[in-house]
Amino acid sequence: MLWVDKYRPKTLDKVTVHDQVAQNLRKLVKMENKTWKIDTGTRTLELELVMLSSAHHVEMNPSDAGFQDRYVVQEVIKEMAKNRPIDAKGKRAFKVLVLNEVDKLSREAQHSLRRTMEKYSASCRLILCCNSSSKVTEAVRSRCLNVRVNAPSEDQIVQVLEFIGKKENLVLPAGFAARIATQSNRNLRRAILFFETCKVQQYPFTSNQVAPPLDWEQYVCEIAADIMKEQSPKRLYAVRQKFYELLVNCIPPQSILKKLLAELLKKLDSDLKHEICHWAAHYEHKMRLGSKAIFHLEAFVAKFMSIYKEFLVSTFG
Amino acid sequence: MSDIRKWFMKAQDKNAGAAKPADRNAGPAPPKKPVLSIPEKPAPSLAPCDQDSSARRKSSKYFASKTEKDSNVKEEDTNAGKNTGTRLSKRKLQKNSDELEDDIKPLPATKVHKEEEEDDDFVARSKKRTPVKTPPSKKLKGASNAEGHGKTIDLGDDDDGEDKMDEDDKTLPSKATGRGRGRGRGRGGRGAGAANGKTSGLDDDGEEDRMDEDAKTPSKAAGRGRGGIAGGRGRGGGGRGFMNFGERKDPPHKGEKEVPEGGPDCLTGLTFVISGTLDSLEREEATDLIKRYGGRVTGSISKKTSYLLADEDVGGVKSNKAKELGVPFLTEDGLFDMIRKSKPAKATVAKLQSNSSSEKQQKSPIKSSPVKVGRRDDNQVTMSKNIALKSNKENASINNQKANIVDRGSLQWTEKYRPKVPNDIVGNQSMVKQLHDWLKSWDEQFLHSVQKGKGKKQADGGAKKAVLLSGPPGIGKTTTAKVVSQMLGLLAIEVNASDSRGKADSKIEKGVGGSTSNSIKELISNATLNYGDNRSKRPKAVLIMDEVDGMSAGDRGGVADLIASIKISKIPIVCICNDRYSQKLKSLVNYCLLLNFRKPTKQQMGKRLMEIAKKEGLQAQENAMEELAERVHGDIRMALNHLQYMSLSQSVVKYDDIRQRLNSSTKDEDISPFTAVDKLFGFNGGRLRMDERIDLSMSDPDLVPLIIQENYINYRPNTVGKDDSGVKRMNFLAHAAESIADADIVNVQIRRYRQWQLSQAACLSSSIIPAALMHGNREILEAGERNFNRFGGWLGKYSTTNKNIRLLEDTHSHILASQQANLDRETLRLDYLTLLLRQLTDPLKTMPKDEAVQKVVEFMDTYSLSQEDFDTIVELSKFKGHPNPMDGVQPAVKSALTKAYKQGSSSRVIRAADLINIPGMKKPLKKRVAAMLEPAEESLPEENGVASAEGDEDDSSDAENKDELAPGDTKPKLDLQSDKKKGIQVQLDLKSSGNVSNAKKAPAARSRASATAGKAAGGSGAKRKR
Repeated sequence: MLWVDKYRPKTLDKVTVHDQVAQNLRKLVKMENKTWKIDTGTRTLELELVMLSSAHHVEMNPSDAGFQDRYVVQEVIKEMAKNRPIDAKGKRAFKVLVLNEVDKLSREAQHSLRRTMEKYSASCRLILCCNSSSKVTEAVRSRCLNVRVNAPSEDQIVQVLEFIGKKENLVLPAGFAARIATQSNRNLRRAILFFETCKVQQYPFTSNQVAPPLDWEQYVCEIAADIMKEQSPKRLYAVRQKFYELLVNCIPPQSILKKLLAELLKKLDSDLKHEICHWAAHYEHKMRLGSKAIFHLEAFVAKFMSIYKEFLVSTFG
Repeated sequence: MSDIRKWFMKAQDKNAGAAKPADRNAGPAPPKKPVLSIPEKPAPSLAPCDQDSSARRKSSKYFASKTEKDSNVKEEDTNAGKNTGTRLSKRKLQKNSDELEDDIKPLPATKVHKEEEEDDDFVARSKKRTPVKTPPSKKLKGASNAEGHGKTIDLGDDDDGEDKMDEDDKTLPSKATGRGRGRGRGRGGRGAGAANGKTSGLDDDGEEDRMDEDAKTPSKAAGRGRGGIAGGRGRGGGGRGFMNFGERKDPPHKGEKEVPEGGPDCLTGLTFVISGTLDSLEREEATDLIKRYGGRVTGSISKKTSYLLADEDVGGVKSNKAKELGVPFLTEDGLFDMIRKSKPAKATVAKLQSNSSSEKQQKSPIKSSPVKVGRRDDNQVTMSKNIALKSNKENASINNQKANIVDRGSLQWTEKYRPKVPNDIVGNQSMVKQLHDWLKSWDEQFLHSVQKGKGKKQADGGAKKAVLLSGPPGIGKTTTAKVVSQMLGLLAIEVNASDSRGKADSKIEKGVGGSTSNSIKELISNATLNYGDNRSKRPKAVLIMDEVDGMSAGDRGGVADLIASIKISKIPIVCICNDRYSQKLKSLVNYCLLLNFRKPTKQQMGKRLMEIAKKEGLQAQENAMEELAERVHGDIRMALNHLQYMSLSQSVVKYDDIRQRLNSSTKDEDISPFTAVDKLFGFNGGRLRMDERIDLSMSDPDLVPLIIQENYINYRPNTVGKDDSGVKRMNFLAHAAESIADADIVNVQIRRYRQWQLSQAACLSSSIIPAALMHGNREILEAGERNFNRFGGWLGKYSTTNKNIRLLEDTHSHILASQQANLDRETLRLDYLTLLLRQLTDPLKTMPKDEAVQKVVEFMDTYSLSQEDFDTIVELSKFKGHPNPMDGVQPAVKSALTKAYKQGSSSRVIRAADLINIPGMKKPLKKRVAAMLEPAEESLPEENGVASAEGDEDDSSDAENKDELAPGDTKPKLDLQSDKKKGIQVQLDLKSSGNVSNAKKAPAARSRASATAGKAAGGSGAKRKR
């Protein structure tokens, strides 16, 4: 079993990182008559615990249905919420419904959700999970108790990693855990996964060992390098093929764009950084409005090439 | 998708068409000089004409009044055939046509028919003849025209016979004169020399005009070759090549000169060839101008060319040849002068003639509408009993004709002039012939052989029991079917879309009184009995199923039933459709002999239209008719309708009339998205009008943008100008890409929210803006790529993506079902997958076999990963240009893993619903294919067994599971059925999320879940869980 899962806290009591939040939730569970919305900065381990702590729940991911998610919300969720289960004691008779990726729900689905939330609150509790509350409409947000779970700090991550290391009887070189924590970008799950990857790759650890990058991140890095090296229609065409490769392998286009921007910014002249960021945001926005991500990725790269080439020519002639 | 296939086919056709002409080109040039001796002359380049002539000869043969000339020509033809081996095919065709004639002749029915025809026309013709003889004025005019060039040929004169013989082109019209019914009249109508001169060149004209289209691309040679071939093949491929190679310069003084007005028909009989850039006219404008005044424009120089129109001597092929042949050069100004000069002269002549001939009067004013009105008034006056005032005979006769028309006016022209005999059908003669042969041999082939027993399995081409005629509307498919069957004395029973053609009632005994299909069944199965009694008297029947591609919703099971009918049929069945590649007809096609009708050429059509116009007393210019034919894109029915409509308001139809009238109401042309993109991005893409661009991009609003998106990078915009660094081009690219991205957003609005009013905006930003920015020359970006537009890659990638997402979701649900991890799909892909892959493959690469296998299987069991999930994980981690994650894993290890996994399956805890086999739900077919593709495992027999074991693994493991689960197995099935009433989309979701959630439920929840099982998302899943 992977360490991520092995060392996952099984109850609220055992939560190590967000103990404050966990405390509050524990109290809340006792009352248990609210609709919660859990909002995580970066999804981390702790989030799921919360759900697990409730014994009877149904979890679903309505945004999988794409642009027809509205019907899932309207039909399935409503259907489930409507039916009030009968408890033997006649008390506490309600269900818990956990909806993942609420921020990816379409606007229509969110609108249909808000009525369901209110109307059937007697028989059904909803737990909504999302990565960013900005994409959840005001109407839904105001009906929820917002619980924000911050990403763990690097120190906390290091703590967790050292805890795991101790349990697994590993010798950690100095600074090793910190390096992984930095690399994970404050994502605890990723940190643990990196940690294990390092273990698989090589043990005992060397002092300057770095976790191998994720496969898709590596590929995006290559794309970034390609773009920086040459700006031409030919290269644009090659980049398009690589984008297709990533998309076919189920990498979400938003992640691609984000990673690509990060990679480009590393090498970019500081004069251009602001402009490029602006365009990246512009195209990410369009990407969410549209449906064919590749068009927008390509448009971003074309824009970048055009700006960068102009810059190069004007600077170096 | 079927449409796409169609376009590919078309493209192939085009290629084939392009390939052939190349061979043709090798042939020697046309005869250099008019040689007077009769038999020797035919050069291969004239072959198409021969083909034409053979076709026409059929017609002439058809009537007893076959001229001597005809036979001469035929002999000549056969001689030629012997001389030139290349013309074998033509000879064959000719032979065929001879056969056809033989077939036709003895049939009394048609003969009678023809006689009727003649009787019918007799009165009219005699009347029409009179004007023919009279107009000396016309002759005069012709002569006056002829002064310059001496081109006038009076076909009526036998003296000219020789002359005609030596020039193959000219022999053709001589045949035309011999052409049966229309013979005397046709010539008469055309009357005097000037008109005749034109007729004489008609076929030749055919070739050259087509070339003229082609001539837009400089690859003239290829164009010519194609033109030659196309004589037989219709103009399907047309001049729309994939690329425009270059661009002609703009005329230096474009639009600066005043275009003169001249007398009508002042250029009649003259043949022009335009070369190079003119001073002020665009090439098209010049062509228009010449045609308006009755001249002809051809694409290449022959000795019949009167002038080479050129303002600068570019020294190209044309001018060289012109010098060689002694064709005079003419500048644009010269042309203007010529037209201008004709004006007053014509006017006086017209005046002179106006006294004697009102017909002449009708001809002289061309454009000025007041005059026209006057003329019409004039006519009306004459109509209203003022004939007495006019001593003119012609006038009287015309009026008589008009009266005649009014008598028969109730009939639509399309019906009235529907061909009565096969030879009247314009174009597609070879198809007609095939159909004829097929119908004729049908009886022997099927009825008699069936009696013998297994004769049905004859392998020759005629063995199909039905025939499918396909082609665009209005080119005479139905007519062909009817006429041919009539000719063979078969009784045609037509069933078309107006009849209900659903599946026949299985009980035919219910009677003929029921649906049509029942009666069809009745018909085809009983036909034998009918003429079994008295074979001689009963007419045999043929069933014509018209518009079979229209068999749709209302006619449920129609096509299937039709096929069944074909199988048992005892009479021939002729099916007719427009689109042979329609999805609906896919099954039918296998049972039919396919005859693909093509659009007739504009020359063929023009000729026929002229005849009809003559019969209706409508004066029409030859090139006006051809223009009409071109405008309707080969649809004769539409052309006739237009013509009839025009005849209501005017009695003279001129080139300009057609242009004006049809400018607004041109028939929509069916162009493929590739062609549309070619046009938009072509070198001349910037010159298109906005509405043209919209039309092009709207020709397929789904595919055109995709093809554009795929290819816009390849174009080097010609608006950029000098651009050493490529910055400008990159800028343009960015703009275009941005615009395409915008279009995506608009498309979402259109599709998701049904905002169809935005479709113009979508087409603007998806196609027009990128095209406007990027149009230019296409260049290749990858070595070895063909320089043609690729098909949009998005569709394929999109479907692969979706497939992979589905697979990933399966894996995801398995992992969730294991209750070991809790994550969403995205996290699984982005974060987990790398490590999962390492855990799964690294041991296989590094550790000893048994240990590794055990470890991996254990790991898979922990997360309840199946063999497919393993494959999914490997598949999703493959990146082009990166090493395959499975590299370095020995095949032996791989098969050992499979074996181990399979062994474990009996004791494995099944956590996810889809790991259970539900009979008939999941077929591990793809696995089997994968196993077959594995080369290493086929080499050794031992491993072969393993491979097959791998292939069967799912089956067997599933079987085991089934045994294990036998008692509970039926329940999930029931649940699945009960869930079905929900929408499809919802159900899908039920499947995935339901499994997930239920799998995660604590055991305590189980009883509850089953309580609500009927409705709750995945109650079924919970029960399936063990």
